[in-house]
Amino acid sequence: MGGTTTAVRSTGVGAMRGSGYGTAGAQRWIDRQFAHLAVLPTTALMLLIFGIPLLFSLYLSFQGWSPEQALFAGNFAGTANYQDLLTDPQFLKSLSVTFLYTALTVTTELACGLGIALLLNIDLPWIGLFRTALVVPMMITPIVAALCWKLLLDPDHGVVNYWIGSHIVWLGRPDTALISVMVVNLWQNAPYVAVLLLAGLRSLPSEPVEAASIDGASRWQVFWHITLPLLRPYILVALLLRTIFEFRAFDNIYVMTSGGPANATMTLSMFTYLASFVRFDLSLGAAASWLMLVMCLLLCLFFIAVIRRRDAN
Amino acid sequence: MAQLKRRTLLQATAGVLAAPQIRAQSKPEKLVYVGDNGPWHYVMVEEVAPAFEKATGIKIDFTLLPVDPWRARLRAELGSGSSGIDVAQFSISMTGWMAPHMEDHTPLLAQIKAKDPSFDWNDYLAGPQKAATYDGKLCGLPYRITTGIFHYQRALLEKAGFAKPPENWEQFLKIAQAVNTPPDRYAYGLMGMQAAGMYPSFVSWLYSNGGRTIDFKTGEIFINDAKAVEALQFYGDLITKYKLVPPEAMTWQFEEIVAGGQRDRYAMVQMFAPYGTLINDPKISTTGGKWAWTTVPGPHNKDEGRTWIDGHTLGVPKYTKNKEWALEFIAMCCSHDWQKKAMVRGNAPPLRSVLNDPEMVERIGWPPVGAEALETGIPTPGHPVWDTLEVQMRSAIAQVQAGQKTAKVALDELATDWQRSLRRAGVGRG
Amino acid sequence: MSALSGVGSRRSKLVFAGSVYLGLIAMTAVFLFPLLWVIGLSLKTRLQVFAVPPLFIWRPTLENYAGVLGQADFLQAFVNSLVVSSGAVLLSLCVGVPAAYAFARFPFRGGSFLFFSLLIMRMLPPIAVLVPMYILFSKLGLTTTRFSVVLAYSTFSLPLVVWIMRGFFEDLPRELEESAWVDGASRSAAFRHVVLPLIRPGLVAASILCLQLAWNDFLFSAVLTNNATRTLPVLMAAFSGGDTGTDWGGMTASGVLVILPVLIFSFAAQRHLVAGLSSGAVKG
Repeated sequence: MGGTTTAVRSTGVGAMRGSGYGTAGAQRWIDRQFAHLAVLPTTALMLLIFGIPLLFSLYLSFQGWSPEQALFAGNFAGTANYQDLLTDPQFLKSLSVTFLYTALTVTTELACGLGIALLLNIDLPWIGLFRTALVVPMMITPIVAALCWKLLLDPDHGVVNYWIGSHIVWLGRPDTALISVMVVNLWQNAPYVAVLLLAGLRSLPSEPVEAASIDGASRWQVFWHITLPLLRPYILVALLLRTIFEFRAFDNIYVMTSGGPANATMTLSMFTYLASFVRFDLSLGAAASWLMLVMCLLLCLFFIAVIRRRDAN
Repeated sequence: MAQLKRRTLLQATAGVLAAPQIRAQSKPEKLVYVGDNGPWHYVMVEEVAPAFEKATGIKIDFTLLPVDPWRARLRAELGSGSSGIDVAQFSISMTGWMAPHMEDHTPLLAQIKAKDPSFDWNDYLAGPQKAATYDGKLCGLPYRITTGIFHYQRALLEKAGFAKPPENWEQFLKIAQAVNTPPDRYAYGLMGMQAAGMYPSFVSWLYSNGGRTIDFKTGEIFINDAKAVEALQFYGDLITKYKLVPPEAMTWQFEEIVAGGQRDRYAMVQMFAPYGTLINDPKISTTGGKWAWTTVPGPHNKDEGRTWIDGHTLGVPKYTKNKEWALEFIAMCCSHDWQKKAMVRGNAPPLRSVLNDPEMVERIGWPPVGAEALETGIPTPGHPVWDTLEVQMRSAIAQVQAGQKTAKVALDELATDWQRSLRRAGVGRG
Repeated sequence: MSALSGVGSRRSKLVFAGSVYLGLIAMTAVFLFPLLWVIGLSLKTRLQVFAVPPLFIWRPTLENYAGVLGQADFLQAFVNSLVVSSGAVLLSLCVGVPAAYAFARFPFRGGSFLFFSLLIMRMLPPIAVLVPMYILFSKLGLTTTRFSVVLAYSTFSLPLVVWIMRGFFEDLPRELEESAWVDGASRSAAFRHVVLPLIRPGLVAASILCLQLAWNDFLFSAVLTNNATRTLPVLMAAFSGGDTGTDWGGMTASGVLVILPVLIFSFAAQRHLVAGLSSGAVKG
């Protein structure tokens, strides 16, 4: 996956040209333009429906704020919004919260998801039942799931405290609130990773594994030296997707803590939400969103670079 | 081509000729009402709307959304000048940015009076009247009013030797420490979640102490002056120093504080007046029948007590095509008799006569206290920049509650944040 | 890839199988418990919900379900959710899968840039585009329609679909298509008849993820629809009302009813996930 694009250009497209296939001239034209035609609907849809609002949001981030007037009547304000953000202690705090939260959540999701996928990959009888069961958490509407966990974590009549025999106010203390939200996210999204990695596991060729087992390798050796490297591209996909998602995770925090207590769970997305929808400072919200995008992009590029380098070795 | 032109010409002529009749006939099929989903709409939805439909043949299409989508919807639709909303319901803090889109309702009051002689604008309490006005323009009719009053369990206080509820802060502290029996029941409840409930929980202490937030005309900030610092420190100490507040109150918003009262987690609380009905109802509350009410205590004596006022207004937007009908529906909802019915089912109308009605007093208990508080209460600011200031204030209060900062440090930092926000919004000298 | 064949003795195989089952059961218990709790809540009265200590055995009540199903709006919202979600999934797949194929097989000038732009669009928090999108739709006259919601959801899932499917396509050995091309099939015919069937597990995975996104979204639907076209999450938000708070019974009952269709879909789909792969066609 990736890295072989130049090879394709020389064999795939080049080899097809002049092979005299196809009947009508139209068919031939379609084939020559196949790539462009195939990509056209996607491009059009994204540009129109998402791209225009996206660019508008970028434009907004350079406009001033005029709270009373019609939505977008502020004046050009240059980088004032960005400056205001970077001097806002709440924004800076949300940066650190977000990075910490993303790092911990993605790591645990990947580890759990991989474990689950490995177990689900084994062809035991009735495995189908387990496959469905473990996909369930991610299908539950996040609002319902978060509210349910809010009840479970209730200090006085929640099941969690009942079992561990304590009265910890999980969502009311700055030190435990972030972990609680993370656990809920992990619960809901490890299955997401598991689905991706399971699909990947099942697409892997079986020869290397069979060859290795015949050679007498233990299960662990097979896993570590053969399966894992083969799975790396899928892990990269999962890593990137989860990073993008957790970086802007919102639903659980919105329902469970609203960014508190004392900004302990004030992630960038919560901050942006408050700016855009509670404060209606749309230009500040736009600036914050774009900063989020840039940061997320840099993070993903970093991951890709690291994994590519390991691939090359 | 020529045929088409002639046809359209004929149609246009017919249209023009028929115009007056069309205007008189143009009764809409329905009116669109956009509001929030608070559980006080029962009478409006289940009784007033059907009655209106019976009288006029017009259906009311209620779109009741949770807080954030409701505000976003009003902003987006009215901001783009759409005529899709006939009746807008907005809260007092939204008045500032709603004002440019709403009709001026002062002349409309006369219109209502003409149709319904029993309508009396002077029956509306002073506070709510002021709150529905922005920059001199009346933006709608106040429908629901909320204010913070002091609720207390009378028997618990008496058992501890206090015949009367606290009139000043020193008494309050003494009583609180006497009735504080952790972990079963604490002395005082409050909404500690870093969200919308923080403002009403704290700000009556601020106002009673003579503190202010800002002057919106000059941009002068008062939130970190001595009185405000004193108020916030006192408030924070209740939690961190005297431990009078249930630990889970840090996760409480509106529904949880009510549930806390129903489950006897605290002996005293300052919160929404209408919640008194919910905690005092034996059918749903273990403390049913035990509550009594008074106005909030002042720092030195009872008269200093000041509380906040909030609520909801119903208004007609400028862009709707059905102004007359919308106004008629609003007038119907706000009429004395319908408001009385609504009060029984959860509303709190801004009408003096209803709040002091002996039957209401008998049945519900807190209305006269609410009326008293409303005469001197301070409305939530309606200036559009207030939303930002309030969100930033939550951060300061939360940090003091968590014991991370003293009130002085937190409020000084808040003042800096507010300066930045005021500058962004172009308020005063910034 | 059946891990039971080959390695180790019969006894160690049994031990292995046993520990796997144990692990699976433990994990299922942990992951399913909250769902079971939600179902339990939906069968409790308000007082039972808040009982201390928490009730594990109680007399169940169906009043919450009766209340939810009794609402005329529920069926309407359910239908809306179905229409919107299946529309979004179908649109995303129909538009995104060919694009993914093109990215994987036929690189063209600007292709990489386009691909990564798609991904970057995904990185923006959707709330940033909500209000501009609303304005765009109102200019197009699409506000309050279900189509606007379908379009919005499609833009969220498209980058996901393209990205995941590209991975699957790249893994597919090209010999199969190349032989089809040599045999005289056009690109699109080869794509439809040779490649697509092989890629079924990827399609299933992608559609599950798209469905989850579309079925559960709240904010966009709340702003873009009205009472007639609103989806289930918006209807359910009505249960968590402001002042007197969450109707836990109603919320959880509707929550259970909401996830049922999705559960049924994933159960049916996961069988395809397995079937498509164990057919052995990919390994050739």
